[in-house]
Amino acid sequence: MTGPLIVQSDKTLLLEVDHEKAADCRRAIAPFAELERAPEHIHTYRVTPLGLWNARAAGHDAEQVVDALVSFSRYPVPQALLVDVAETMARYGRLSLLKHPAHGLVLQTTDRPVLEEVLRSKRIQPLVGARIDPDNVIVHPSERGQIKQALLKLGWPAEDLAGYVDGEAHPIELHQEGWHLRPYQEHAIDGFWHGGSGVVVLPCGAGKTLVGAGAMAKAQATTLILVTNTVSARQWKAELMRRTSLSEHEIGEYSGTRKEIRPVTIATYQVLTTRRKGVYPHLELFDSRDWGLIVYDEVHLLPAPVFKFTADLQARRRLGLTATLVREDGRESDVFSLIGPKRFDAPWKEIEAQGYIAPADCVEVRVDLTDAERLAYAMAEPEERYRFCATTDSKRRITESLVHRHAGEQTLIIGQYIDQLDELGEQLGAPVIKGETSNAQRERLFDAFRAGELSVLVVSKVANFSIDLPEATVAIQVSGTFGSRQEEAQRLGRVLRPKADGHEARFYSVVARDTIDQEFAAHRQRFLAEQGYAYRIMDAGDVLAAGGEEELGGV
Amino acid sequence: MTATSPRTLADELRSRSDAELAGLLRARADLLSPLPGDLSQLATRAGTRASVLRALERLDTFTLQTAEALAAAPQPCQYPVLAALLPGGEEQLPGALATLRARALLWGRPEGLRLVRTAQELLAPSAARPSGTGLGPTLAETASGISPSRMQDLLARTGLPPTHDPVSALAALAALFTDPARLGDLLAGAPEQSLSVLDRLAWGPPYGEITARPGPHLRWLLDRALLMPTAPGTVVLPREVALHLRGGRAHRELHPVPPEPTARAVYEPAAVDIAAAGAAGAALAVVEEMLGAWERETPAVLRSGGLGVRDLKRLAVTLDVSEPDAAFWLELAYSAGLVAADGEADERFAPTPDYDVWREQPPGRRWVRLATAWLAATRVPGLVGSRDAKGRLLAALGPGLDRGPAAELRLATLRLLAGTEPGHAPDPEAVARRIRWELPRRLPEEPRARMCAATLAEAELLGFTGRGALASFVRPLLDGGAQDDRAQDDRAQDDRDREGEAAARLAPLLPRPVDHVLVQADLTAVAPGPLLPELRQAMALAADVESKGAATVYRFTPGSVRRALDAGWTAAELHAFLAARSRTPVPQPLTYLVDDVARRYGRLRVGAAGSYLRCEDEALLDEVLADRRTDGLRLRRIAPTIVVSASPPDTLLARLREFGLAPAAESTEGAVLTLRAEPHRTPPRTAPEPAPDAPPGADETLLSAAVRAIRAGDHAALDTPRAPGGRTPGGRVPDAAGPPPRTPAATTLRTLQAAARSGALVRIGYVGADGLAAHRVLSPVRVEGGFVTAFDHTADEVRTYPLHRITGSADAGQ
Repeated sequence: MTGPLIVQSDKTLLLEVDHEKAADCRRAIAPFAELERAPEHIHTYRVTPLGLWNARAAGHDAEQVVDALVSFSRYPVPQALLVDVAETMARYGRLSLLKHPAHGLVLQTTDRPVLEEVLRSKRIQPLVGARIDPDNVIVHPSERGQIKQALLKLGWPAEDLAGYVDGEAHPIELHQEGWHLRPYQEHAIDGFWHGGSGVVVLPCGAGKTLVGAGAMAKAQATTLILVTNTVSARQWKAELMRRTSLSEHEIGEYSGTRKEIRPVTIATYQVLTTRRKGVYPHLELFDSRDWGLIVYDEVHLLPAPVFKFTADLQARRRLGLTATLVREDGRESDVFSLIGPKRFDAPWKEIEAQGYIAPADCVEVRVDLTDAERLAYAMAEPEERYRFCATTDSKRRITESLVHRHAGEQTLIIGQYIDQLDELGEQLGAPVIKGETSNAQRERLFDAFRAGELSVLVVSKVANFSIDLPEATVAIQVSGTFGSRQEEAQRLGRVLRPKADGHEARFYSVVARDTIDQEFAAHRQRFLAEQGYAYRIMDAGDVLAAGGEEELGGV
Repeated sequence: MTATSPRTLADELRSRSDAELAGLLRARADLLSPLPGDLSQLATRAGTRASVLRALERLDTFTLQTAEALAAAPQPCQYPVLAALLPGGEEQLPGALATLRARALLWGRPEGLRLVRTAQELLAPSAARPSGTGLGPTLAETASGISPSRMQDLLARTGLPPTHDPVSALAALAALFTDPARLGDLLAGAPEQSLSVLDRLAWGPPYGEITARPGPHLRWLLDRALLMPTAPGTVVLPREVALHLRGGRAHRELHPVPPEPTARAVYEPAAVDIAAAGAAGAALAVVEEMLGAWERETPAVLRSGGLGVRDLKRLAVTLDVSEPDAAFWLELAYSAGLVAADGEADERFAPTPDYDVWREQPPGRRWVRLATAWLAATRVPGLVGSRDAKGRLLAALGPGLDRGPAAELRLATLRLLAGTEPGHAPDPEAVARRIRWELPRRLPEEPRARMCAATLAEAELLGFTGRGALASFVRPLLDGGAQDDRAQDDRAQDDRDREGEAAARLAPLLPRPVDHVLVQADLTAVAPGPLLPELRQAMALAADVESKGAATVYRFTPGSVRRALDAGWTAAELHAFLAARSRTPVPQPLTYLVDDVARRYGRLRVGAAGSYLRCEDEALLDEVLADRRTDGLRLRRIAPTIVVSASPPDTLLARLREFGLAPAAESTEGAVLTLRAEPHRTPPRTAPEPAPDAPPGADETLLSAAVRAIRAGDHAALDTPRAPGGRTPGGRVPDAAGPPPRTPAATTLRTLQAAARSGALVRIGYVGADGLAAHRVLSPVRVEGGFVTAFDHTADEVRTYPLHRITGSADAGQ
C-alpha cells in the first residue's frame, strides 16, 4: 500500500515523483501511458487506447501492463480498468498488413468476425480489393496508410508487418569528433530504428537535428527531410555538414528559391503544399528518388496535405521530430497511424537536470492598463479586443524597461502583431525580422545576433521554430497567437539552448491584466506549466520599481 | 419410526421428533401461517398444490430427479426399485430421500416409499405436463379407453394366451412389459424401422404423430401395445417399454453431483481483499457523491412512481458511470433506506435522515449497511429500462422491480463463492451452471442466468468480491442464517455480531483518509487518497475536481476561488488553509491567483434601496443624517454625496419636507419631476349592475310559452284531478308509459324547433343525472346553442335541457 502510483478510474495515473520507486515505476508505465503533465510533485500519465496499442506494437502484452499497474499502485486498481486494458490491447494485432508473394499487400486476420466487421465499414470498402480467402483481403499498396488510418478510427488497429523498402543506399557517417551523441539521443535513435517508424519527442534545444542525423547514419540511405521554412532548412544543412560525412554537394535544398534534388534533400512544407491550378506541382519530389528515410521536422505542424502524401509513403521509414505532440487541430491519431507511434519521450525537466538544456525562469509580467486604455478596451469590438489589449502602450513601456534591465544580454522580443513589433524595434533601435524580410537579410541578422554584434532582435512568428540562436538568454513575448500552447513551448525553446557559461535563461511573457490577453496567456502557459516550468507572476509595478536585475531574479 | 408402517403422511408426521417437525416448518415456512391446528391439518396443508409447488421449486436437481423417478415408479415404491431407476446416484440417493422426507414430500418406510399425492400428480408424466424424465404414462393409463376385443387382439399379437376380461388382459400385458427377458424377445422380432421409431421416442418426448393409415412398421408396434394411441393421430410409448429401452434409467442424464465451480483464476487472498476493499471504498464514495448531489437538486418522483429516465441519465453523468450502474447504486441506497421519496404534494427524491446517521458512521459500518441491504434486497436494478407485461417502462426506484427469488439466488451464488478456496475466482459460466443445478425450478432459465450474472457483477462493484474471488471480510455476513433453534433475540444479536466482525475486518483494508493535499505550480492540487470529510468539503468549494478515483485531482481557477470567496472565505483564510493543508509549499502562481481574484472580488457592490438622496453639498447630507428625526427613514450613506433609504421616494420626500427641507424628485432618467402630482385615477372600471329585488321581466316568447303551458296544465288538470299534496305526472303527461321516444338527433332538433315555432306540446325522452331515460312533456320556447328552453309540464316550470341528453322526441298529442 505504499506504491508511488495512484490509478484513477478515469484512466489517469498519478505518479509521486519524490517516491523512492518513482523511477522504476516511470520505466514500467512509460511504454503504454502518455505523460500528460509533469509539474513538480505529481506527474499525470494517461492510459489511452493509442498508448496501449503503441505498447503492443513495441512488444508489450496486457499481462505486463496490468502487472505494472497493480504492483506499483498505492491503492487497489479498479477492476473495470484492468479489464478495459486487457480488452483494448486484445484488439491490436487481430488484423495485420502483410506482404503476399502473389498479391502484393494483404490484410490478414486471426479473427474472422473482426475482418467481417471492418469490411462492412464504408470507410474500408474502397480501400480493399478481392478477398483471397476467408482470412485475407488484398490491399492496394498505395492504400497502406489510408487503411491503417481508417482501421485505427474503427478501433481495430492493424499491425504493419509489410516491412520497409531499403531505398537507394547512400553512405552517411556521423563525425563524432570533439562531441558525442548524448545518451538520450542514442536511446531515441535506437528506439526509432527498432520500431521502424515513429516519432521522437524532445524539448526544444535538446538536439533533435542530431537524432535525425543519427537515424540517417543508421539507414545509410538517401533521405528526404521536411522542415518548416527555408532558414530552418539552411540550419539543417549546416548542421549535417558539420556533424556527418555528408559534403555540401550531397545535400540539396528544395525550397521556394532553390529546387535541388540530391541524395539528402531538405524540403520545406511550404513548397510541398504550394498549389497551382488545383494540383500540388512539387509532390513528385516524393517519387523523384528512391528515398530510404523521410524525416519530418516539427511534426506537430505537419500540414494536412502532407498527411495525405505521407499515407502513400508507408513502405518508407519515417521519423517524426517534435517538442510537443500537442496538435492544436487534435490530429494526434493521424500522426500515430501515418508516421508512427511515439518511440521516445523525455520530460523537459529531466533533460534540464542532465544539463543538456538551459534552466529557464519563466515570468509572467502583469501590466495594469491605464484608465484610458481600459475604457478603450471595454468599448473595442469583440474581434479587435485581443489585438487591442495585446498591443497596448503600457505593454510597450514595460517591454522597453525589461530590455534595459537586461542590457548586455542577448535578448529576443517575440510578438504576433507587426505594427507592435515595428514600433518596439524603432523605440529600441533594434532590427525587426518578419514575414517580408528576405531570407538573406534574416540570415545576416541571425548571424550578427549569434556573433554578439546585435544584442536585441525583434522577431515575428517566423522565428517560432527551428531557429538556432544558442546565445539568446532573454526572450520577451509581447503577444501570441491567441492561446496556442505549442507556440509558447517553441518560443521558450528559443532560449533553452545550453549557454556557454551555464547561465539561466529567462522568458518573460508580458500580459495585460484583466483582459482576454490574460486568459490566453493562462491557456498558453498550461503546456509549459505541465512540463514543470512554473511561471512566476509579477506586477509590472514591481518590475519598474525593482532596482536591478538581482532584485528581479530574487523574487 | 415404529415397526408398523405409517398409513398416512399425518401418521408419519406424528412419529417424527419435534426437531424434525421444526425442520419441516423452517424449510417450508408457508406451512406456518396460519398455524395448523394439529398434525393432520399440517399434513393436509403440506399436501396442497401451492405449498407442494413451493417446496418443489426449492429442491436441487438431484433431489428433484429422485422425486421425478419416484413419481414414475409404482406406488408405494421399494427402495431397490427406486435405486434401479437412478443408476449412478446410489451414493447420493439416501441424502435426497432424507431431504424429500424432511420437507414432507415423501413418507413411508423404505419398502414402501410414497410421494405425497400432489407431488405425484405434479411430477408424474402426463400428456398435459411432460415430466423431466421424458417418460410417458403407464400402459394401464394408456389402455383405459380400449375395447375388450382390441385388448384380446393385442394379447394375441404379442403371443399371450387370451383371457376372459380386460383387467386380466392388461395385467398379463403389464407382466410381459416388466419382464426384461420376455420384452427383449418380443422386441428382437421387431422390424428395423419399428425399432428406430422406438428409439426416437425412448428418451422423450414419448408422444408421436401418425397418419390415419400408419405404415407397416408402426402397425407392428401398435398391434403389440408397444405404442398406444392417445388421441386420433397421436400415439405414446408406454412407460414400461421406455424404461426397458432405457435400460431402466428414469433420466437420460442423472446429476447426482453438483457441478464444481471451476476457477477462472487464482489470486493471492490478500490481493483479493485489497481489490475488494478498494471497490468497497469506491462504493461508499459513489453513494455519498450520489446522495450529496441529491441534497441540493432533488429529482421529481414520476407520477407512476420512480425516477425519470432523464434524471437517471443526469445522475450517471454526474457519477461518471453507466446508466445501469447508476440504477444499481440508486437501488442500493434505496434498499438501505438512505434515499426515499419525500411524500410532499410535489413529490421528490431526497436523502433520508438515516443518511445523516449513516454518514457519521465509520466506513466499515457504512459499508456493512449497504452490504446487508443488498443481500436482502428483492429489487432487481437490471430491470430498469425494460418494460413490464403491460408495456410500462420500469423506472429506477419505481414499482415493479421486485422479484421474489432475487435475494435467494443472490445468497445461493455468494454461498457458492464462499464455498471455494480463498482467492479462487470461479468462472461465471460455471457458477451459473451450479446455480441451475441447485435451484432448477426456481426461475425460468433465462432470468435466472441474468440474475446470476448480475449478482456477480454487483458483488464486484460493491466489493463483495475482488477480481472475481470472494473477499474474506464478507464471509461473516454469509455465515448467517444458520438453521438452528435459537431464539429470535439470540439470532438478532448474532447478526449484529457478524456485521460487526465484517466491519472490523474491512476497516483496516480501506484506504486511510489523508489530511493533506499536494499543491503544484500548474494550479492543480492532488489529494493522494480519500480526504477527511471537512477537508474534502473545503477543497470542493475552493477548487474544481478534475479527476476522481482513489485520489482526487483538483484545479484552482479564478472561478473556483471566487466561489470560495462567495461562500464567505477571505483571501487570508484561503492562504492559511492552503498553507496548513498543503504538504508542499504553496506555489507563487496560486498565491497570486487568490490575491488577484480577491483584489477584484466585490469591487462592484449590489444592494437594494427604496430611494436615494443625492446632494452636491456634503455638509447638507451630514446635517440630514445627523438629524434624529430621520432615524425612521433608515438612511445609509454609500458615498460622500449619496444616501440611500429603504423608504419609497414619496415618503422620503414628504418627511424631508416636514423637516423644512426642499427636496426635488428625480425621474428614472434623472430629470427633476414637477411636484404637482397627477390627479389620481383608477384603472378602467365598469359601472355596477343594478340589483332589483324583483326578477327581470320575461320576454314575449317566454311569456306566451308560459301562458301556453299554464293552459296545457289546465287541460290536464281538467282531465285528471290532481292528487292532493303532490303532482301525479303520470296523469298529466299523455302516454307516459312505454319506452321514451328515440329519434335521430336531426329529427329531434327539427321537431323541437317546429314545436317552438308552433307552440305545440312535445314528448321527449331525457337522460337524467341518474343515467336513466325518462319522459318529459315540454312546450319548447327556444332552441339555441345546443339547449332547449321549454316549459316542462312534468315539472311545472320553465327549464333548460341540453339537446345531447334528449334521446328523442315525439308529438305529445292532446
